[in-house]
Amino acid sequence: MRNGHSSAVDQTGVPVYRGSQAARGSSLVGNSSITTDSRQSLDESREHHNHGKVVYSNDNEDSGQFTKFKSRRSLPWYQSRELQVVGAITLLSLIVRLWAIDYPTSVVFDEVHFGGFASKYIRNSFFMDVHPPLAKMLIALTGWLFGLNPSFDFKEIGMDYIEPKVPYVPMRLMCGLMGVAIVPMAFYTVRNSGHSIHAATLAALLVLFENSLVTQSRLILLDSPLILFTAFTVLAWVNFHNQRNNAFSDDWFIWLFLTGVGLGLSGSVKWVGLFIIATIGTSTINQLWNLWGDLKISPRSWLNHFIARAVCLIVVPVAVYMLMFEIHFLILHNGGDGDGFMSAPFQMTLGHSLQDSPLSVAFGATVSIRHQGTKGGYLHSHVSVYETGSKQQQITLYPHKDTNNDWIIQKKDGTVPEGLEYIQHGDIIRLMHVSTNKRLHSHDHKPPMTEDENHFEVSGYGYKDFAGDANDEWRVEIVESNDEESGKFLHTLNTKFKLVHTNMNCDLFSHKVKLPKWAFEQQEVTCMRSAVLAKTTWVIESNIHANYPEDAPMVNYKKPGFLGKFLELNKVMWETNAGLVESHPYDSRPSSWPLLKRGISFWGKEQKHIYLVGNPVTWFMSTAAIVIYIAIRGLLFLRDKRGYNDDFNGLREYYELSGGFFFVAWAFHYFPFYLMDRQLFLHHYLPALYFAILLLSVTFDLACRFIPNRARLVALVLIASIAIYSFRVRAPLTYGSEWIRSECEASKVLTTWDYDCNQYPDNYAQYAANAAAKVAPIEGTTGAEEPAAIVDSFERDTDLQEQQAVSEGDGVIDAGAAGAAGAAAAAVAEQEAEDAQITDPAVSKMAQDGEIEPTFDFEVPVEDDEVSENDKNDA
Amino acid sequence: MLEDTLRVQTIYIVATASESTLRQRSTFPKHTPPTDSNASATEDAPKKVIKSVFTSAEKTNSLIALAGLTALAIISRFYKINEPDEVVFDEVHFGKFASYYLRGSYFFDVHPPLAKMMLAAMGYFIGYDGHFLFDNIGDKYNDNNVPYIGLRALPAFLGAMTVPLVYMTMREAGFPILTCALAAFFVIFDNMLVTQTRLILLDSMLVFFMMCSIYSYVRFYKTRNNPFTLKWWSWMIATGVSIALTTSVKMVGLFTVATIGVAVIWDLWELLDIRRRLTMQQFMNHFYARAIGLILIPVVVYLFWFYVHFAILTNSGPGDDFMSTEFQETLKGNTMADGIFVKYGDNITIRHKDTSVYLHSHEHNYPLRYDDGRISSAGQQVTGYSHEDPNNLWQIYSDNVENTKIGKQVKDKDVIRLLHVATSSWLLAHDVASPTMTTNEEITTYSINEDGSRFNETTFQIILESGGDKLRTMASNFKLLHQSTKVAIWTHAHKLPDWGFEQQEINGNKNLVQKSNLWLSDNIEGKNASEIDQESSKAVKTRSFILKFLELQGKMISHNAGLTDSHPYQSSPIEWPFLVKGISFWTENETRKQIYLVGNPLGMWIAVASLAVIIGVSGADLLSRRRGFYPLNQDVQKRFYYATGFFFIGWIFHYIPFFLMGRALFLHHYMPALVFSYMVLAAVHGFIFIEGVDGPISDAGPETRPRQLQRAVVPVIAYASGIILMAIHLGSFLFFAPLSYGTSAPSVAGLARRKFLPQWDYHFAK
Repeated sequence: MRNGHSSAVDQTGVPVYRGSQAARGSSLVGNSSITTDSRQSLDESREHHNHGKVVYSNDNEDSGQFTKFKSRRSLPWYQSRELQVVGAITLLSLIVRLWAIDYPTSVVFDEVHFGGFASKYIRNSFFMDVHPPLAKMLIALTGWLFGLNPSFDFKEIGMDYIEPKVPYVPMRLMCGLMGVAIVPMAFYTVRNSGHSIHAATLAALLVLFENSLVTQSRLILLDSPLILFTAFTVLAWVNFHNQRNNAFSDDWFIWLFLTGVGLGLSGSVKWVGLFIIATIGTSTINQLWNLWGDLKISPRSWLNHFIARAVCLIVVPVAVYMLMFEIHFLILHNGGDGDGFMSAPFQMTLGHSLQDSPLSVAFGATVSIRHQGTKGGYLHSHVSVYETGSKQQQITLYPHKDTNNDWIIQKKDGTVPEGLEYIQHGDIIRLMHVSTNKRLHSHDHKPPMTEDENHFEVSGYGYKDFAGDANDEWRVEIVESNDEESGKFLHTLNTKFKLVHTNMNCDLFSHKVKLPKWAFEQQEVTCMRSAVLAKTTWVIESNIHANYPEDAPMVNYKKPGFLGKFLELNKVMWETNAGLVESHPYDSRPSSWPLLKRGISFWGKEQKHIYLVGNPVTWFMSTAAIVIYIAIRGLLFLRDKRGYNDDFNGLREYYELSGGFFFVAWAFHYFPFYLMDRQLFLHHYLPALYFAILLLSVTFDLACRFIPNRARLVALVLIASIAIYSFRVRAPLTYGSEWIRSECEASKVLTTWDYDCNQYPDNYAQYAANAAAKVAPIEGTTGAEEPAAIVDSFERDTDLQEQQAVSEGDGVIDAGAAGAAGAAAAAVAEQEAEDAQITDPAVSKMAQDGEIEPTFDFEVPVEDDEVSENDKNDA
Repeated sequence: MLEDTLRVQTIYIVATASESTLRQRSTFPKHTPPTDSNASATEDAPKKVIKSVFTSAEKTNSLIALAGLTALAIISRFYKINEPDEVVFDEVHFGKFASYYLRGSYFFDVHPPLAKMMLAAMGYFIGYDGHFLFDNIGDKYNDNNVPYIGLRALPAFLGAMTVPLVYMTMREAGFPILTCALAAFFVIFDNMLVTQTRLILLDSMLVFFMMCSIYSYVRFYKTRNNPFTLKWWSWMIATGVSIALTTSVKMVGLFTVATIGVAVIWDLWELLDIRRRLTMQQFMNHFYARAIGLILIPVVVYLFWFYVHFAILTNSGPGDDFMSTEFQETLKGNTMADGIFVKYGDNITIRHKDTSVYLHSHEHNYPLRYDDGRISSAGQQVTGYSHEDPNNLWQIYSDNVENTKIGKQVKDKDVIRLLHVATSSWLLAHDVASPTMTTNEEITTYSINEDGSRFNETTFQIILESGGDKLRTMASNFKLLHQSTKVAIWTHAHKLPDWGFEQQEINGNKNLVQKSNLWLSDNIEGKNASEIDQESSKAVKTRSFILKFLELQGKMISHNAGLTDSHPYQSSPIEWPFLVKGISFWTENETRKQIYLVGNPLGMWIAVASLAVIIGVSGADLLSRRRGFYPLNQDVQKRFYYATGFFFIGWIFHYIPFFLMGRALFLHHYMPALVFSYMVLAAVHGFIFIEGVDGPISDAGPETRPRQLQRAVVPVIAYASGIILMAIHLGSFLFFAPLSYGTSAPSVAGLARRKFLPQWDYHFAK
């Protein structure tokens, strides 16, 4: 046992940072006695609350390090002061976080998304979201265990939970309990960093009575799992750090491993988890640098240190992260509304199938051609004309399989040779649209959407026996191929090629630009000069020809393995995430967060309102702690250079080490947001807030070193009471409970907080009165609407009606005569068909992302009576 | 270590020198009086104050090398400078701006004015009157009688002068002639630097002033042992002025400021060290001196060019619309002065500032049910319409029914009601979701004939953001805040579906501070500019320089950040050092000539390799020193970190910040960093092949410890490898020269051979 070296200092039980006392002893031989004296007086004052019961070991050789505590439980656990405190706080936390968790009984804010994802998990239908899957799977698991009916789709804020018997309480409880667990985590993190019980209690209480943390953890949201895992990682890392003199011991390995697991879990909830990885990474590099400088440690031993950390902090997290995706893929094995985001081979793993096609492509083959640069789908045409430019038949990209994606490859003169003549690099071809007999055509007209001199319109032109003209000619240029043979000949799937318009020297091109309504918002296709190569490459996906030999070599997509899917999905997530740049009424910039300039409105109904806003007392104090930290460190830095030796009785390094770590963690969880262009919200600051609170408790501890023990308790109670009072004042916004206008007005610390106090009644009696007045249930506009089930009929032939119209549309020639009545009728039919069945990636992106487009129910109420009035007027 | 050997030597000299100085030196070796420095030299060195480590023969050789390189630089920049006699690439902009200066008409550009004014001054001296506007790439100069050769000569000359600066900077930093010549040679024969500096562009001035700053700073640093002397002050102020000039050319000059700034902070940090034995007072003197020379003076110089800018551009011009109304009123011939005060009862048009559509309404209602199933109020549509129309007219009323205030002027913060004249209905906002944005409020109207129950929904507060405190046409930008629900009337470039005739959606925006909430009234029905109220005068107003400067600077920064439109030749910074993509500057279809901006690929790739060497060597050095090994000779190490490291920092600061920029970036933004990378390349070559360093190179001061004279040994292999490097670079330059000068057209096969990377998208390559 190390506590054999008991001394007065050791028995105080407070893990005083002993600084480099031994080292200092050698340099300051003259005044070492003074140091010891002052320390003892300091320590004696501390003995009151510890009674020497909890004995911490100390190792005198272990100078320059924190005191270690090994035998914390020399007494039965139930008598441990620490456990009692933690127990009490946790109990309190359970009450505060889970109080009336069943209210509101309807969908709130982003529950739209995360509840919706749970339903999709239960239906096994694939979706795309910008966040990694772990927390969503936990929510789904809870929902599944408690019998969530997957037909409930959480489509809109304000949808009722009670009527469809949604097990929303367990789902919220799952997140809520995770929120509860953050509180003891905060306690132990501070405590194990070597601080007093007072400081640890303060940290736990401030985390507990933080309105925004409470709000976030009471709803089905990802933030409480994220913060929990982040907090857990930090706790494990602190514990690991405490084991540094027992390198390679069991405890050392366990905590290192758990840190790695924590990193993996944090990263699997949201990518914001990467910030904790950066924090731990920086700390690791610092450790390794110090070990490298320690000449007592052999290079061999250093290498062991390095490998152990690399395995636990890189390999383990990556494995955890990938495991989550593996589970994600295993669950979501059916197609769903996320298919459109993924590449064709990926979609093959989602229950969509593609028949094997012959490898070689000959003139006369009927082919479908898929665009490679975007996920827009197949080269498509239908009996509708452009309303701009040449007014000829539209050419678009269409994401689903359809007979209107079929094209026949003809020779330059528009004929098809008798025998099999395989297409080579450089051949000039024409493409005849099978169902409308129009040829793929381009000419000097402006395309409908893109106003750029390099772009030209692409249209369908001609009629059944029309010989065609030179503007129908396209040269096949092979860009990339899987093997040498497919570099020379056009092969299905294996050959990526460009189609170059020979007359104008432009390439067939498509990009993520939607055509207007009259083209069913399909993707624009143009012919572009000097275009980006990726957006001009195409691939033949299906290939049918009557004359192909029976034994022709066949080809199909290679289904991607886990790694391929994993990488692709992460790439798509990244791109989608970066694309979230639209503005939102409640978005905010990072500079406004530390001062809590503005909150987020979550929900409002029946004169009640949930508004995400922090506890200003905690918030401002934590920000002050950050500022004080920077100021003190800066000042000491300058004074060191001038030769002053500020030491504060050994407390300095104590502040610099644990405080420094929390500060770095805060900085890593805050500053990177400045680099993000996407829309950001106040709740992105919450992990940083957690660290700011920890730093605050360290600052508190440091400040308290200079006052007697009893006063310290008073200070703790005082600060906590103010924070709790402040929490209580704003609790109605947190819980969505009853409130009155005057109290609401009083609660606004900053004028920039934009919740509307006018919505509250003047007194509480009003609520009862309102409830009584509400005899008949009002028919809400949103409730009255049937949630339209998204039927994802990927395989279904959506253009069936269009085909029927084709026969009528026959013989429609160029020059805009295509506006025949039959075609128009077909267009309407197609529009309807496609409206119902296309899953538009752009729209679903908005609907699926975790944080965009929350529709605020209370802001868009169509006044019930007003609507009925209008209805009457209409009638 | 080496310091010990020095001390041993000192003691040895002490033993042999005269007694009186002996004692002092042995007790205070760091405080040798200056007169003693002659005694400090070793036996084989001349017993004099060391003025320079270089012999006079070396100095002559150096001058010859400098002259030769300068001549090469001038030849390379001026070779066939008259071709092409057409507008090339961004000459479109900078030529045009020069013309505007000569005309005195106000224009707006994201770059500070200095370089453009220099071009204009050049034009003025050669008698160009600014008649040509450089509208399109390919416009003929000779046909339009533009003395473009004179205009191009200025950047070309400064581009050439960059070369001797590079040479001298390296020389002052203590590198041997070979190393300096290598750096200068690489700068001369880089295709990008050649192409970019012989056209009417800003980068040549930028790089020239940047090198002036670096050169001055090196000179300043060398005088650090004699602080507060005239020489010290001169070079410091020269540095300050140079960084100001650099920044006055392009905001990228701030990177040069950062480079110098880091070096200065490091220097100050060293001075602060207690072991330097400066009192706090002395340290603060150092600090204040630098604050004056490197902050105050540069700011004054920078502001001065803006002062000149405003002094020249006194007429209204194409840049008016970028500026605030107050600013525009200071320009001769501006339209702002035509503004008329709006009075209650007037029929006005209200136009959105950003999208220029009129607030419009017509006798059509919102559809009761939208496609997504939501329900509207089915009230009368209020839309944004981009053409003039009687339906754009609104009559302005006060919110007080009794006190109509008819005939009184509309003031800031008045609460008003707007009556749509054609349909006699009041503008109204209410708590119903707008057609396309569920978060915003629907704007509609309700008939004047209905009862007054909805009166509260029709009142709006008018908040003037500019143009005084009374509403004036053209001059006032204002917001309309709905009183009861606190939304601002807003529109965005989003067309309504067919039912809204594809006019623009107008709705109530909850974000009240958004810039796009601004509207202006551009017309009062029946009144026009000739009927000006007595209060408004047409005189040109004045405005303080500082306000004008701050406004322009703010606009420059925001517009620069707003240049996010993608461009076919834009590239991302990560591609630049590897030269992944070039820029097509100019093409001529008949002769198939083209100018294609691409660096000297071999030279640039060697430079990247040398940057990697720096990182590798310094990393290895740090790690080994941490373990107690000292692999580098102390002087070599010092030169490596202080000289080569400084250039490397210069490269970092002129390159890495681009990663943080959201705007469209181009290869030529790499030019300043490229010059640094070539200096690093030469230094790394020296580090590898040349043994030892020349030293000491800094001026000795009164407290300087006597130092041993050191000479670098330049072996034959250093010359051989240097010549090989130059040969490779020159060969690569000549190979790409046709594309850089645009004087001859390579064949298709020739272009294919020159296509080192597939992304180099030449024209006429097929």
